[in-house]
Amino acid sequence: MNEQLLAALAAEEAAIYAYGVLGVKLTGEGDLAEARSAEAAHRGRRDALVSRLSALKASAAPAPAGYELPFELTDRAGAVKLAIQIEDGLAQAWRAVLPAGEGADRATALNALIEAAVRATRWRRLGEVTPVTMAWPGSA
Amino acid sequence: MVLTDRVKRRQLIRVAAGATLSATTLAGCGLLDDDPEPVPPPDALQPVLDEALQLAAAYDRAVLAEPGLAKRLQPLAEDHRAHAAELARVIGVTPPSGAPSSSAPAPGGDAADSVATLRKAELAAMKTASAACRTAPAARAGLAGSIAASRATHAEALR
Repeated sequence: MNEQLLAALAAEEAAIYAYGVLGVKLTGEGDLAEARSAEAAHRGRRDALVSRLSALKASAAPAPAGYELPFELTDRAGAVKLAIQIEDGLAQAWRAVLPAGEGADRATALNALIEAAVRATRWRRLGEVTPVTMAWPGSA
Repeated sequence: MVLTDRVKRRQLIRVAAGATLSATTLAGCGLLDDDPEPVPPPDALQPVLDEALQLAAAYDRAVLAEPGLAKRLQPLAEDHRAHAAELARVIGVTPPSGAPSSSAPAPGGDAADSVATLRKAELAAMKTASAACRTAPAARAGLAGSIAASRATHAEALR
């Protein structure tokens, strides 16, 4: 399970970084409120993962100082697209924890998967990307 | 335990009518002595499959009643049909082609379901899939988890 938790941690770190940079391209209170709440949620998930991994005595590689974005951020549409990619990626990382974990670990992973999928749907709606839902969040 | 033929027949009729007598109870009474194959317990994912079919049908009814909702609701119904097909495959049952049986009423009853009712049903169905995910064997945890997440996004899309 450590391997999957470490991957989830890397995805959460990347999400925190991405929300930090995409915020400047967002416009409107709806966008900004969503980005702020997402970033806070991802920091919470990151901190919980760090403690869990420490309890499991699994050492995580330090988060890199910077990340390469998948594409250049030039406008709001790009920022929303990145937020969707980030949340879809988180859903995938957390879904991978489900079969590896049991009990509280699986419950945490399930909540994180659901949360990421719902955030991805909210970003799709904010960006008018259709369809706003998918049949298999986390497996795409 | 001595059973008259009459009691035996009544019991069997109750079983046939879908009464909730467990196979073990019957086996303990010796009723199944001449039928060595006990009825297997329902699959843990069966309630998740039932809800997928009920929700797909509920969306279909809502679109029939209000065609203007089609663009918004049809993709959600398709998600449920995809879930139902995969669940049927994993459980090992034949996926029903039409509407669910009348013994399983859709949320909201016969009348076309409002968006608010559909949203409530999605949230309830998300809880069912979440519970199935938490207790599932590893091989099924991802399937149930993705279905729970998909249902949560449906509820979000209906806000």
